[in-house]
Amino acid sequence: MIAVIQFPGSNCEYETSRVLVESGFESKVFRWNQHFELQNASPDGFILPGGFSFQDRVRAGAVGAKERIMDYIFDCASAGKPVLGICNGAQILVEAGLVPGWKTGKIQAALAANMIPGRTGYLSRWVFLKTDDESRANCLWLSKFDDAPIPIPIAHAEGRFVFSSDDLPRCEENIALTYCDYSGAESDEYPVNPNGSVLNAAGIVNESGNVLAMMPHPERAFRMWHVPPGLEGKWGVMRREFCHSEAIKEQPGPGALFFSSLSDYFGME
Amino acid sequence: MELQDKLKEAIKQRSLAMTLQEAEKLAGFVGRMPTPLEFHLFDTMWSEHCSYKSSKSILRGFPTEAPQVVIGPGEDAGVVRFCSHEGIDYDLVVAHESHNHPSQVLPVEGAATGIGGIVRDVYCMGARVTGALDLLRFGDPGGKHGAKVRGITRGVVEGIWKYGNALGVPNLGGDVRFHSGYDENCLVNVVALGIVRHDRVVHSFVPPEAHDEQFVLVLAGKPTDDTGFGGATFASADLEETAEKGAVQVADPFLKRVLSEANAAVIEMLFEKDIPFGFKDLGAGGIACVTSELAAHGGLGILVDLDAVPISIEGLPPEVIACAETQERYGLAIPKRIAEDVLSIYNEDYELPQLFPGGGASVIGEFTGEKVYRVVHRGVEVASPPIECITEGIEYDRPSSGTNRPIIEPEKRSFKPVEDVKKMLLSIDGCSRQPVYSYYDSEVQGSTHFRPGEADACVTVPVPGCSAGLAVSGDGNPWYGVLNPYLAGAHAIGEAVRNVVASGATPIAATDCLNYGNPENPEVFRQFKLGVEGIADACSFFGFRNNPDIPLPIVSGNVSFYNQSASGRSIPPSPIVAVFGKMDDFTKACDNVLKKRGNYIILVGERKDELGGSLYYRTCLDYDGGQVPQFDGEKERAMAEFVLRVINEKKAESVHDISEGGIACALAEMVLGTPSDARLGVHLDDAAGDPVSLYSETPGYLIEMKPAVYDELSSGETPPFIRRIGEVVETFILSGGDWTLGLSDIAGKRDSLLERVIWREKTADE
Repeated sequence: MIAVIQFPGSNCEYETSRVLVESGFESKVFRWNQHFELQNASPDGFILPGGFSFQDRVRAGAVGAKERIMDYIFDCASAGKPVLGICNGAQILVEAGLVPGWKTGKIQAALAANMIPGRTGYLSRWVFLKTDDESRANCLWLSKFDDAPIPIPIAHAEGRFVFSSDDLPRCEENIALTYCDYSGAESDEYPVNPNGSVLNAAGIVNESGNVLAMMPHPERAFRMWHVPPGLEGKWGVMRREFCHSEAIKEQPGPGALFFSSLSDYFGME
Repeated sequence: MELQDKLKEAIKQRSLAMTLQEAEKLAGFVGRMPTPLEFHLFDTMWSEHCSYKSSKSILRGFPTEAPQVVIGPGEDAGVVRFCSHEGIDYDLVVAHESHNHPSQVLPVEGAATGIGGIVRDVYCMGARVTGALDLLRFGDPGGKHGAKVRGITRGVVEGIWKYGNALGVPNLGGDVRFHSGYDENCLVNVVALGIVRHDRVVHSFVPPEAHDEQFVLVLAGKPTDDTGFGGATFASADLEETAEKGAVQVADPFLKRVLSEANAAVIEMLFEKDIPFGFKDLGAGGIACVTSELAAHGGLGILVDLDAVPISIEGLPPEVIACAETQERYGLAIPKRIAEDVLSIYNEDYELPQLFPGGGASVIGEFTGEKVYRVVHRGVEVASPPIECITEGIEYDRPSSGTNRPIIEPEKRSFKPVEDVKKMLLSIDGCSRQPVYSYYDSEVQGSTHFRPGEADACVTVPVPGCSAGLAVSGDGNPWYGVLNPYLAGAHAIGEAVRNVVASGATPIAATDCLNYGNPENPEVFRQFKLGVEGIADACSFFGFRNNPDIPLPIVSGNVSFYNQSASGRSIPPSPIVAVFGKMDDFTKACDNVLKKRGNYIILVGERKDELGGSLYYRTCLDYDGGQVPQFDGEKERAMAEFVLRVINEKKAESVHDISEGGIACALAEMVLGTPSDARLGVHLDDAAGDPVSLYSETPGYLIEMKPAVYDELSSGETPPFIRRIGEVVETFILSGGDWTLGLSDIAGKRDSLLERVIWREKTADE
């Protein structure tokens, strides 16, 4: 069973739980104050969904990271159980010191306000992501990826990964997902890098490869019908080929790769 | 002092909007000088915003009945049958409101509370809210009041994203238009929609069981403060430069999100235990309106104890506690025996008092068999009107007079297609709305198939697992409003219907918000009457049930009067509507992106010389008069049925309706939607072309079709109004005869124009 944690202000918990079920898992949503219930259920993995937990008070994710329920998740993560933080969930994982996790429990990264020339605030848009061989080998959430970039939506106001300058040399190893264009070419300029993130980082993994914090929303790219019809690249071509086909309803979208990687980890399928 | 003098004095001293006659009516009801609370309660209930006193008689002209309608206008939201999935029937819940005045004064808060209020209307029918739209009208960003207009535009968009995104309700677009007539009075119309189990629709009155068992009133949410006191009255007054900012409420999407989760848990528990209840959100008139209406509409009285109301500011007088419009609150009528369980869900499971100091749920009243609305504060009775007068309405017959502007066409109509189309595409009205949409979360809940702009309507799959698709679009053209108030109403429905149809959905319901100036002005009242007639007439053609006598029903709506500046200048007549459509299989939904070189472009609907109010006149000729397109209902219906059939038979590769900028701009948009690594274009067959054929806004559609499909179709019996007009080519152009418009230079500029003008304070050409 994969637990999806609902903090006050989370807003992506139900669709996240739904795609887990559609991926063949059992899944349940737990409220932030149900730490006993969560412990008793002893889930096999955890997802912290997107939203605005605790109103982004102090910093996005800061209050959620200090909740009692996170102690148990911290222990499970340290024991190697899969944990995925999406958007606000990623902010919580960073604030809880689970990623990059060089020093257990210490906050060693931050998700700062988007830095886009001439614009502030929220940004919703489809971007492209890629991984490399090393990340795919290390991170259990990425095992099903190949070299091809995938399209995926982002929707956030604070998604710029930053590290202290001392950590810059070593953080590269923890960057599991980077922003790129549809051909896979990287650029640190908007909109290829949509928020000014350091080294184009879209997702950070811990050293053991079981905890991934990512800003884009895989649950919103889970089916082919989620993909915009006018998109560039291979996925765009595939999407348009499905225009008259009922199969678009069940056909996996690019975001499904994260969940099939998880199935793979548990030896399902 | 005579009673009349005392009433006059009270009206003046309390800044009430009610007339002396209305105050006398109130005094007659209570049989004495009304208390302050009674004054403020009825000032709200009899405000134009709540009572529809000027509009009621005209609104009866709307078609509101059809077989799919479950609840028409009257409750907080309209309800229509939607789909059936795994043995359960689901209904669609829709509501439409305006938050114009608050948004002009405090754009961020005004727009945010607009979203907040409209989603509450849908939540309180027991529904899960699955979408929201905003129909925004701003002044001329490059005009006399440009700086203020741009600031308001930025503020409204900020209010919408800050509130709506946090709430977790996907934004399904809407539209944004600019017209100098809104320079001093912007319009923020908001629409919310949701899904509810048919057997679990909740009503906004105390249930009949309360006649036999003790029911109590639970107030849940934010602690009461003094914000929004007099808000409904404010919404019904002229906008003055010194407008009261205190009348604008403060929204809290975080609390609302948690409160909505708690509400859902409470409603689920009550249904599971088969316990009757009533539920209503607190909007205009706050506690006073919600408690009196829950009781009155259930045929009971109520005793409200203001000392039991959680309050965040000490020392508030009883009329402020009772009538303030503090956001994020709901009233729940439940049997007393279940009150403890309900309170524990709010206060313990969802920890509302911990998450928001002073927040939570409390019992604040008891329903009574005595038909009186009683309110007690510190042991003193502060209101006791008979309950009947709560439901007793108030209605006026307003005079109307005036004529349409004379129809005068421009003397010369130049035709330089490359220049004209470029001008239109790079105008504030013809450019992309993407910069606005990019602030909105359109995908939360994971059910969005077509985001704003990808098809003519947004399409979602609101019941997970079910194939039923929902398409929604909103519209209203201010230039048509100025020239012909009747046709503005008819085309608002026509255009929204076309958008929904072009996406492949059959319209099932419509909502409206009627935005006008001062109804006491006979010319304004005439505009209003004609707008309603136009909407009603158009609806009569769009029932689509193989029975031309059944109309497209209007199931919810709102009237917003007094939209004018302090100088007395009214806004353009602005009937704004939303149309909701259904498709059985969302995988057949059609977008507006060109697919393949060699495909044909099919025109549905002949072009006519009726360019009044068109983007071409305005942008290329700088002319704002002329004949607005006629509304031909029979033809519209026939065209819509043809397009729906073609989409349903999978014969359409892409579809776009023809609106502002005519065929030329519609085709350019289909071209501009192609991916940057696989650009396509269109070459038109007709070598000559003229303003009518390319720019006329006569209603119609463009369909991209495979040659073989079109040849087969046209070999059989086809409607007279379709013909091939062009072909998809592999270059990024729009061309015809001897002219070619390259779109490479235009694409980027058109996408970013609004961002440059509104957010970066640049001119359109920079």
